Amino acid sequence: MRRVAVIGVGVTKFGKHDRTSAELFAEAAGEAIRDADVTPSAIQALYYGNVTGGEGEKQLHMGPLAATLLGIPTIPTTRFENACATSHAAFRHAVMEIGAGVSDIVMVGGAERVLNIPTDAATEYFAYCSDASWEQSVGLTFPGVFALIARAHMDKHGTTEEQMAHVAVKNHRHGALNPKAQFQKAITVDMVLNSAYVADPLKLLDCCPFTDGGAALVLAAEEVARKRPRSVWVLGTQAASDTMFMHEKRDLSRVMATERAARAVYRQAGKTPVDVDVVELHDCFTIAEIVATEGLGFFEPGFGGAAAEKGWTGLGGKIPVNPSGGLKAKGHPIGATGAGQIAEITTQLRGEAGPRQVEGARTGLTHTLGGNTATVLVSLFGRG
Amino acid sequence: MADHVLTLKHFFEEARAGRLTGIRCGKCGELAIPPKEFCPSCQDRNWAPVPLAGAGSITSFTVIRVAPRGRGAEAPYAVAVVRLDEGVSLLGRIVDIPFDALRADLPVRFRPLVTGEQTAIGFGPA
Repeated sequence: MRRVAVIGVGVTKFGKHDRTSAELFAEAAGEAIRDADVTPSAIQALYYGNVTGGEGEKQLHMGPLAATLLGIPTIPTTRFENACATSHAAFRHAVMEIGAGVSDIVMVGGAERVLNIPTDAATEYFAYCSDASWEQSVGLTFPGVFALIARAHMDKHGTTEEQMAHVAVKNHRHGALNPKAQFQKAITVDMVLNSAYVADPLKLLDCCPFTDGGAALVLAAEEVARKRPRSVWVLGTQAASDTMFMHEKRDLSRVMATERAARAVYRQAGKTPVDVDVVELHDCFTIAEIVATEGLGFFEPGFGGAAAEKGWTGLGGKIPVNPSGGLKAKGHPIGATGAGQIAEITTQLRGEAGPRQVEGARTGLTHTLGGNTATVLVSLFGRG
Repeated sequence: MADHVLTLKHFFEEARAGRLTGIRCGKCGELAIPPKEFCPSCQDRNWAPVPLAGAGSITSFTVIRVAPRGRGAEAPYAVAVVRLDEGVSLLGRIVDIPFDALRADLPVRFRPLVTGEQTAIGFGPA
């Protein structure tokens, strides 16, 4: 396989927009193309991610729509849907297309628009990413999925609601440093603990928001990328799955697909957790960040909550997690999230992240989780 | 007979009548909830139906207070993962148990939740 690099990134402001998801993607893609310093016609394929467009915008066939709005309507396109891990899955396939020698320059990304519909409708559409017969049928929501995980983690390890609150506080502190973030203001532990329960033990401020936004990446083969000093190399990218059913999860306090994908990507890249300088991971709920920091090997099982409380995952800490603000504060436009995380790690490894820069970061990791923990992608990136 | 319990339709028809049915692998003995084509443990295709008594205990639970569209009037409601005594688990709606009595290891018993044509998994007091 040929080496592949990220040569351009673009992200819209995350939040509420009065544009279609395809328009949001086109804005991000335009920024990525200018950042990569390529002509639009140099793009040979588009790997596009979107989840709820069929329900929320009555729009399918989004790949060619996105390419049409971008002004390159004749390139081959494919639309991906892997719940919240959608555009990270698209990224992995784009890397394989270039690695296999099929194309030299490929665009990957995604967009989502959900703030145009009522919250209960968005909650219903997101729940379509859990199983219809076993989970939707009893009214399980996504906060409900992670509440089951939180309760299991609390029972097994003694993790507390206050430790979970520290994740939200830290990610809001980071988000305040990111001009593209949906929420750019600090919150306190008391504010989290006093917010209303959504699915016990998770409260409103344990949950990421609904978000409109788009994100895009230009990927290139080594022959193109090595001429560009700001290229960030893909050291490894791996996907793993787990049973789709909550009732078949072997241990609700763990995310097995995270552990499997992490082991595979460290092996592929020849790295270990201690080599990682900066992380963007899937904090759809505060407990999800705690479980992910354990599953990715940064902390022993059961110590993720204490690590959050001690500040080890903040900027300036042992292993800075979600300097962008994460899904919690930057926002979670589900079809764009994976590409958005890769854009942040690229920016960090280029040393261009401004006030939220992790000093001297040379190796970065992205982790994106889909739905009821059935899909996970983990990728590693490096300079030189 | 084996094919009879392999579809979701038949599982829920049986459940509607108060009967839970698992499937056991004739090669390795793995017990599972249908439908499954191959055994996830040994990859064989040799399932036989097994009645499940419906008794179990809570593994994890939550009280859902923000419901999806169409279920607003039902909220708040409790949902739990229940490990049945035979060793497989099911997710179900908790009924007739106060929220503040919910805890891990609480014994519960299956009961079907029937709404019109729909049948869902429920658990009430043991």
